[in-house]
Amino acid sequence: MKNILWIFISITFLLGACKNESIEPIDPSIKNNVTLEFSNMVGTQSLILDNSTYQNSSAESFSVSKLNYFISNVSFKNIAGTTVNLSDQYFLVKQNDANSLLPILKDVPSGDYTEISFTIGVDSVKSVSPVEQRTGVLDPASYGDDNMYWSWNSGYIFFKLEGTSPSAINVATPNKFQYHVGGFGGRTSATANNLRRITLALPQIIHVRKSISPSVHLIADISKVFSGTNPVKLANSAVIMSPALALPISSNYANMFSVDHIHE
Amino acid sequence: MNSILKYPLLLFLGSLILQSCEKTDALNSSDDSNSNASVYFYKPLNFLDPVYDFSKNPVTKEGFELGKALFNDPLLSRDNTIACSECHNQSYAFTHHGHPLSHGIEGKVGLRNAPPIQNTAWQKEFFWDGGVGDLDLFPIAPIENPVEMDEKLGNVLEKLKKTSRYPNLFKSAFGTDEINTQRFLKALSQFMNSLISDNSKYDKVMRHQGEVFTLDEKAGYDLFNAKCASCHQGALFTDQSYRNNGLPINEQLNDKGRFRITENSTDLYKFKVPSLRNVELTAPYMHDGRFFTLDDVLNHYSRGVVQSETLDPILSKGISLSEEEKRKIILFLKTLTDKEFIRNTKFSN
Repeated sequence: MKNILWIFISITFLLGACKNESIEPIDPSIKNNVTLEFSNMVGTQSLILDNSTYQNSSAESFSVSKLNYFISNVSFKNIAGTTVNLSDQYFLVKQNDANSLLPILKDVPSGDYTEISFTIGVDSVKSVSPVEQRTGVLDPASYGDDNMYWSWNSGYIFFKLEGTSPSAINVATPNKFQYHVGGFGGRTSATANNLRRITLALPQIIHVRKSISPSVHLIADISKVFSGTNPVKLANSAVIMSPALALPISSNYANMFSVDHIHE
Repeated sequence: MNSILKYPLLLFLGSLILQSCEKTDALNSSDDSNSNASVYFYKPLNFLDPVYDFSKNPVTKEGFELGKALFNDPLLSRDNTIACSECHNQSYAFTHHGHPLSHGIEGKVGLRNAPPIQNTAWQKEFFWDGGVGDLDLFPIAPIENPVEMDEKLGNVLEKLKKTSRYPNLFKSAFGTDEINTQRFLKALSQFMNSLISDNSKYDKVMRHQGEVFTLDEKAGYDLFNAKCASCHQGALFTDQSYRNNGLPINEQLNDKGRFRITENSTDLYKFKVPSLRNVELTAPYMHDGRFFTLDDVLNHYSRGVVQSETLDPILSKGISLSEEEKRKIILFLKTLTDKEFIRNTKFSN
């Protein structure tokens, strides 16, 4: 009985100690990583490339062979309402590259954050930046056959979704669909702008501390690409590569992200 | 101790002064330095300031030589058969002589006529439709275009790394033998920016360097100024704008010009006003190379302009030109031929 009491007291004490330790005071000079974890899904199913068939809101069945998108300009809002911008960190999320699904944000200042924002695409400043700034995932030499840069109409492909569908009527490549969305608004003439800014409330406050580098687990529901205010039908548009024609797609996918949960 | 401190400071100041002298020379060169083979970029007296930002990529002898090697190397194409110089041949002011549309690997045919590569440092935008606004980013397009070189930029870099020649050339140009996107593109820019055409008869007349127009050339020059120079203006002979000059639409190509970039219907069938420097050498003419002679070009403006919604208002009635006026304008246009440019062995492979 005495032993049990001791164990009980010890556990209570230890738990209390743990809890106190986990909430270090905020020291904004101390920075840490935040991992974004992207799970690409179609409705309630995980996205499986090539071999799974899904249905969109227009009852068209389709398979996905490729899904890539750029994430940039992530920012967090803290409990005081101040925004912390993590500029100059660009990520290319590719469904066929497991590492790319877990981009790590560096140098996030310590803080308690309630909201995350990010851009799908490469912002206009970076899109017209000199070649010195085009390194890492922005290096036009880095894409191989899976190109994410338009050389003839200089700019990045923000979002790429490709696959097959019996509804996709395309003389050049029957049953294939290709959505390449780019267009940052134009360099010297105004052009279509498909940059989309996403802001999501976090389901719980995330703490960034010296000892805490949390993960934000996001879900991207690809079925939303086809649904929304401007339904996109594979039967009507199997191949979209023009920024102007892609406006309904970017408007739709602007609503495909949600924060599922947080790991601390 | 004191003198040791002073000495490097003096050296430093001295080198600063020397450097600044060099820069001034290079930028404000007279005709003397034009023929000086050690100067790779200069601003001709009758030109405006260049738009290219040389602070990020000054032209050096080693960078120029690397760029020249790359420009002439078929390794840049997928099957190693076609170099940039294939469609941009120095003898024809870096154009594809006699080809209305450029040819790529495996006999593939492009959409447009290869423009000359000259005076690139003064160009704000590139291609007939202005799709690229930075010379450094320009070469990726012909390299990756499926009907031109059909290669991947990353693969070009890999091929270059495997050669015995290029790592050394990159080291000479950039300090280490690393081969990357930035260095590759900058070397090509250094070569292209050195391709300055400024020694035509016209230039020498303008700079009062002993040449004078004949009476017909002078008459042609006056006619040109009255009838052509609103678009083909300045020392570059282009205002670098995009205009629909009333060409009948070639339905087979259905090239919508600037509209491809802006997707704005007011830009349908507009193309960049081309420079007329070396125009005698750069036939065939227009974005699709449909005209093989300058007579064809002037006949188009005098009697071939087709009305359309985006036709440039300046051409709504065409350009009235008598046969005699056309003859004189063409005589003037031939004074824009720069033989020193096309024969300059510095640019040759």
